[in-house]
Amino acid sequence: MLKVEKLTKSFSSGGNTVTAVDNISLEVDDGKFVSIIGRSGSGKSTLLSLLGTLDKPSSGTIELGGQDVTKLRDHALIKYRASSIGFVFQSYNLVPNLSAIENVMLPMEFAGMAKSERRPRAEQLLEQVGLDETKQQRRPGRLSGGEQQRVAIARALANKPKLILADEPTGNLDSQNGKMIFDLLHQLSKKENTTIIVVTHDSTIAGKTEKTYELLDGKLKGKSK
Amino acid sequence: MNVITRGVRNAFRNNIRTGSIVVILGLSIALALSMLLAHQAVGKKIDNVKGTVGNTISISPAGFRGFNGGGGNPLTQTQIDSVSKINHVSSVSESLSDRLTSSNTNLVSSIDAGALGRRFASNGSGSGTVSIGGNAPDLANFTPPVTVVGTNDPTNLDSAGGGTFTLKSGQIFDGASTANVALVGSTLATKNSLVVGSTFTAYGATIKVAGIYGTGNTFGDSQLIMPLATVQTLSSQPGDITSATAKVDSIDNLASTTTAIKNSLGSSADVTNDQTTTQDTISSLQNIKSISLYSVIGAVVAGAVIIFLTMLMIVRERRREIGVLKAIGASNLKVIGQFMTEAVTLTVLAAIIGILIAIVAADPITKTLVNNSTSNSTTTSVTLFGAGAGASVSVSGGPAAGGGNFVARGRGLGRVGSSLTNIHAAVGFSIVIYGLLAALGIAIVGSSIASWTIAKVRPAEVMRSE
Repeated sequence: MLKVEKLTKSFSSGGNTVTAVDNISLEVDDGKFVSIIGRSGSGKSTLLSLLGTLDKPSSGTIELGGQDVTKLRDHALIKYRASSIGFVFQSYNLVPNLSAIENVMLPMEFAGMAKSERRPRAEQLLEQVGLDETKQQRRPGRLSGGEQQRVAIARALANKPKLILADEPTGNLDSQNGKMIFDLLHQLSKKENTTIIVVTHDSTIAGKTEKTYELLDGKLKGKSK
Repeated sequence: MNVITRGVRNAFRNNIRTGSIVVILGLSIALALSMLLAHQAVGKKIDNVKGTVGNTISISPAGFRGFNGGGGNPLTQTQIDSVSKINHVSSVSESLSDRLTSSNTNLVSSIDAGALGRRFASNGSGSGTVSIGGNAPDLANFTPPVTVVGTNDPTNLDSAGGGTFTLKSGQIFDGASTANVALVGSTLATKNSLVVGSTFTAYGATIKVAGIYGTGNTFGDSQLIMPLATVQTLSSQPGDITSATAKVDSIDNLASTTTAIKNSLGSSADVTNDQTTTQDTISSLQNIKSISLYSVIGAVVAGAVIIFLTMLMIVRERRREIGVLKAIGASNLKVIGQFMTEAVTLTVLAAIIGILIAIVAADPITKTLVNNSTSNSTTTSVTLFGAGAGASVSVSGGPAAGGGNFVARGRGLGRVGSSLTNIHAAVGFSIVIYGLLAALGIAIVGSSIASWTIAKVRPAEVMRSE
């Protein structure tokens, strides 16, 4: 279970203190598919950074599987991120000079997975997201946007994380590809029992998730479903 | 795939940029290596010159000015032996100069007396048949005498008059020989129809021609060179020495050794050296040595700056990628390792190009540096040595007609100019090691700031830019 309590993140900007995430508390059960919606600047991405341990909160706690990750030191955080969190970004963020399969193997290497296990696991994941053998060897530049996002999802799943955080995963895709990616994430959350939190401003997509939180000026306005 | 493989592959992400960086960096490394080679070559040359050229001390009887005047008593073997024992004296060559006239040789001088010869003959300054025969000068038929030099060091012969000793035929006799043999100057040989194996008479003895030599110098080519012991015996001057040259192990010890010899011989000998002139010449090499060292440092720093700016640019360009790598579990060490590998790959490629260029260019660069920097000083030196050689003729007993004489001192000084520019930058295996070490150093120093920048990149920044 993901349990967030009184999470706050403040920044100093031009002599003023800006609170991007303001005293947020929420709980998400394992294997749930949850969305966070909100306008630009509402603090969605900051919240996602905090949940993904990419940034440290000013106060509050984040527990995943009973472990308070806000107390982890930097070195332990790196290991934690490698093994427990998967990221899917709006602009895919694949390494351009590595092939699709090499991109998927990257987090496995960082997590210390044995070399012999990496390739079969990456092939299996890429097949799972619908990328054939030929396309697995292609570099991101030779794949469509939808295909690149599928590679990004396979990369996020590489180390069987407990939590996948997706920041506008369909933002750069047309509606057909967007739906395909959404369905894929939905399907994976059930199949792998992985918690998926999607940040989006697309209310159609948000409406299809099991739970939706709305952020306004850094505060959790409410939840639906 | 691991950190190393990714780092190497990243170095080739943009071939045009990689090519440009490698070429620029390669030129920088080539310059550094070429200058290092020049530095080494010049250093060796300085040591060599110090130990072989201009490190001689001329010793002549006090007041003796050859056949051109002066007086004094010849040096003795005991005096020379005492000089040999002085610290830093590595060897002493001895010579005895004499003149042969029609009264004691069948040889005819190959030098035309001319106005100068007749003038010296008329004023009785010790030239020609006048003083030797003791009769009134017959200026109309005056023929210059033939100079004979007895030496115990025939392998170190050269002309002080600017010519270089070259054996044209036959062979050089042994320094300790007592045989009646001689090396004959080429014009003297031609004048008297002598070839190797021919004989002539001198001091009432039959002398065999062992070799014919040339110097390119009129006076030098009209002389005879014979074993010292032979000349001492035949001319009835046993143990007499009119000129000696002490060789010192290094020019650095020249002054102190000269003083020691002066102290040993006292007022019985004139002792001189050419330290100042040679040191002036060497100072130009010292300048090149310093310049080349500064150039090595400058080129290495330039290389480090090139790779520093390159890596800084690359890191700034890939800031988001670094954030992604950190977000998906890469440690700072792994990301820095990847970028360091990229920097090392670029510099090793540049080092290979640099080494290849240095192998080809080091020698010409060294020679150009040396030629440009020593042209003025060597010109001056040659002129000075020429003047010195002229003086040496009088001191060593040369005739009034001028020209050089065969003494070791003349040989050494005559060769300084060409010796200085005869420098080769030898490319050895060590230069490859130096090149690769330079590349490694440049890569580490140049990418250190970039590594620090990488460490400062927070993974959250990638989310903010989404």
